[in-house]
Formats: sequence, structure tokens, C-alpha cells
Amino acid sequence: MAVVDQASPTSTPARGRTIVRQPSRAELDPERTHRRRRLLETALAIGVPVCLLLLWQAASAWNWIDGRLYPAPTEIGRRGWDLITEGTLWHDLFSTSRRVLLGWALGSAAGAVLGVLMGSSSLLRKALEPTLDALYVVPKLALLPILFNIFGLGEGSQIALVAITVFFFVWIATMAAIMSVPEGYRDGGHVFGAGRWQMFRHVVFPAAAPQMMVGARVAAGVAVLVIVAAEFLVGEDGLGYLIFSSRNLFINDAMFVGIVVVALLGVLFAQVLRLLERVLLPWVDHRDGGSGQ
Amino acid sequence: MTTTLSRTAERTGSVQVRDVRRTFGRGRKQVEALGPVDLDVRAGEFVSIVGPSGCGKSTLLRAIGGLIRPTSGRIELDVVGDHPLAMIFQDYGIYPWKRVLDNVRFGLDIQGVPRREGDLRARDWLERLGLGDFAGSWPHELSGGMRQRVSIARAMTADPEILLMDEPFAALDAQLRALLQEELLQISQRDPRTVLFVTHSLAEAILLADRVVVMSARPGRILLDRQVPFGRPRTPDIRRSPEFAELEDELWQTLRAEVTEQLGTQREALGGASDGSR
Repeated sequence: MAVVDQASPTSTPARGRTIVRQPSRAELDPERTHRRRRLLETALAIGVPVCLLLLWQAASAWNWIDGRLYPAPTEIGRRGWDLITEGTLWHDLFSTSRRVLLGWALGSAAGAVLGVLMGSSSLLRKALEPTLDALYVVPKLALLPILFNIFGLGEGSQIALVAITVFFFVWIATMAAIMSVPEGYRDGGHVFGAGRWQMFRHVVFPAAAPQMMVGARVAAGVAVLVIVAAEFLVGEDGLGYLIFSSRNLFINDAMFVGIVVVALLGVLFAQVLRLLERVLLPWVDHRDGGSGQ
Repeated sequence: MTTTLSRTAERTGSVQVRDVRRTFGRGRKQVEALGPVDLDVRAGEFVSIVGPSGCGKSTLLRAIGGLIRPTSGRIELDVVGDHPLAMIFQDYGIYPWKRVLDNVRFGLDIQGVPRREGDLRARDWLERLGLGDFAGSWPHELSGGMRQRVSIARAMTADPEILLMDEPFAALDAQLRALLQEELLQISQRDPRTVLFVTHSLAEAILLADRVVVMSARPGRILLDRQVPFGRPRTPDIRRSPEFAELEDELWQTLRAEVTEQLGTQREALGGASDGSR
């Protein structure tokens, strides 16, 4: 009796109906529903990239795309294996990772410190915000020539470039995070007589940390992006160098190896930070595998 | 619209709850929140539901509203119109990005009522709730009491056959609460319809309802189902009558036993294992 039409045609008003609320399969068998859901999620997470790769392979095999410009995944895999066994890929990966990590750490630290200071002091904010806002919009790659003048053509400039890029992301995220700590949390500290440092350590920093972490994670992705460009411009080693020099030499499969490894590096870095966040900030509710950036 | 007219002639919107249970979570974390519950609400009847915190009152209301499904059992709503339900939430549930008038017209917008008619009906309810001057205001410019009035106006404007109210006055101070109770009493007597009203306040429950239902601690079952011994129209003065006190006392005795027992089991749980802190 999902819908009940009332019999008498005239006396009753509009037709009546019955809305039924009853359990669906999800309520009747939650275990099974959950299992199936997980299975589907895993299948999709693996299946979609695999399908894309297969599509690419097929496109190569049937010559829908030019195999010399866009080598098939198997070609790229073979070349990747060669580069690994020769040892050059490890060297490039290591160089790039080192630059990214050092630059990210330096930039994050500086951004966090300045963000905390500016978030806490409105005077400092008034003094520095216009300048930093102006610097923020300057494309960081345009600073590279200046960095060459300061640090020379080697490692220093590249690490500095990553650090500067990361700095701005973390600075803005931290400042916003500190400023948006609810007044109620601070009030609690004040009433209990917390000093500046105690307030920061017990209240403001933990409250702001999750949002700061988001800034650091976004910055990690951008760090990888920037280093690839820098390595192309400076060019002695690193994944960026691998990509662009291979292209110049028309070794397209090696170029794609570089691109794939860069992508993997970015994913790995973001995952590590996510893991770190779970350990460092256990009070944050990380539901649903915590995907969204 | 014709549904409005036909309803005043004959009240519609009845609720039958049959053997409904609801659990949350899976495996070891599974919690029995509700049931089994059986409840019948006649068309046009105002039923208050009281019970200890976390007893599943809101769960029952949400299941009736179709926001969650029961884990077992069946709920039937006998209605006439296409949009028979409205709900008023504890935290108002009005949208910060809509002006007061647009918030109040929301239900009608969903029903596809033409803008002009919608505005008229929304303004009518805003006037009735003393918010006529605030039609163009943003919700953040209003006080808590005014926001809850907006929420009530939004529900009433939609002219639902069944109105669900989930602790609508819980976030208000005592004076404001008394005032809004009286307003709601007037509204519900001038415009009778089926209402399910969840509250913690026994006096509120009795004042407003035709029937009060007391639920047990989790998993919530119905312990007591009492007819309120006052006819309609009634005024807030009934609070001072002995029958009012008598019924309130009976409800409280039942509720008290439940709350005490709940506290006891919580202490036990705390003594036994440091688990289940939530």
C-alpha cells in the first residue's frame, strides 16, 4: 500500500497518499553494505587510473596518437627501468627531493613564524601586510635571476626559490588560522591567567595548527611544481632537468618517465604530510580517509 | 492554493510508527539509539515528546521526516499534498546567505509557488511573528529569538500537513522561551495541524500539546503516553492549575527514574573502562 487513493470521488478533498519510511538494504545489512561500498571505492581508485593507462596503451598500439611523441606506457616503463638500473633516475630523484624538502622546510618554518607573529599583532600586520601582499603576486620564477646574484647558479638558488614559494602559502594560511581562533578559546586562557607563551602553547597554536597544516600541504604540491621549472632553467640534474633535456634530445619516453616520477613524488609528499598530520594533530576529526585538500 | 482550503475543511496528516528501531555504526561501535517504538498521531493532533538526553527523540523525529531510515520497522504518513512536511531545528536551520524574506519563502520556492504569491504569504507570517520590519535583513543581523521566529515563519509559510519541531527553543533564554511558547500556542490553536514537538521541558510539552509522550533512556522506547487534560483554546494560565502540576509531576517521576538510571550506568561504564567517553 504505497499509494492509497481514496475511493469516494466527490466528498473527500484531494486524493490522499501514504508516505512510507522503511529500512533500505543499507539499514537491513549494514556490514554487507559497508563491505560492498569499500570494495567499490577501492575498485574505482585502482580501476580508473588503470583504465586510463590501458586507453593510452591502446591509442599507441592502434596509432591513434603518434607513438614517437607520446610513447606507450609500456615504452615508458621500459625506459624507466633502464634509467633505474643505470642509476641516473635515482640521482635525479634524490637531487629533486632534497631541494624540495629543504626548501619546503625552510619556507614553512619562516612562513609559520611570520604568520604567527602577524596573526597575533595587528600593528605588525599593518606594517608588513601591504608589502607582503605585493610580493605575493610577483611570479616567484621571476625572482630567480636575483637569487642567482645572491646564491650563485647552484643549489642555493633553487632551494631558495622553493622556500620563498612555500613561505607565502604557509604565511597566509598561518596568519588566517591564528586570526580565526575563536575568542572563546582565548577567553578561557585569559581567565585562568595564562601568559603570552602559555596562551600560545596551550590555546592558540593547537587551535590554529590544523589550518596551518593545510597551508603546508598545499605548499608541498607547489614546491614540486616550482622545482621542476627551476631545474629546467638552471639545469644540471634533477627530474626537471631530466624532463626538459630529454625533450631537447627527442628522447620522449625518458621525458615521460620524468613526468611520471614527478607526479609520484608529489603524491608521496602529500601523503607523508597527511600521515604526519594524523600523528601530530590527533584531535582533528579525519573522517572518510581525509582526502580533500 | 487549493490544498490550504481543503485542509481547513478536513484535517490531514497522520503518522503511524510501527515497531521502529534505529541503530548507528557497525560492529563493536554499534549503538542502539531508538526503539522499538510504536506511536500513532492523529491528523491535527499536537504531540510532545520528552525524554532524557540522547534517548533518540530527535532520531525518531528525523526518521519521520525522512532524514534517516529506520533500521527496522515502518513509518507511514497519510497526507494529501505534494510537500506535506516542514521541520524546525534547534539551531534554527535558516540560511545565512538568504535575507529574512527569502528564508521564509524558501519552502514555497521549493514547492514552485509563484514569487508574488510566495512573497505575500511569507510577509503575512513575518507580520504575525512581529518580524515585518526585518524582511530585508540578513540573519546575522538578528538575535537568537528573532532567528528562531524566522525559522517558525519559514515552516508555517510552507503550510505543512505535518510539522516537526526538534527542541526549537532549546537555545533561547528562559524569558524569550516563555514568550515564544505562548506565540506558538496561539499559532497552533488558530492554525491547527499535526505537530510532533520534541523538548526537554515538561511544562512546555504540557502547555502546547494535546498529548505528551515520555521516552526511556537509550535505546528510546515509549514509557508513558498521557492525554493533556486541557481543551482548546487554552491560555498560558493553565500552568497555574493543579491538574497541570499533577501531570507535570507524573511525567517528572517517570523521567527522573530514567535519568537516574542512565547516570548510574554511565558511572559504571566510567569505572569499568575508560571507553565510551562520548
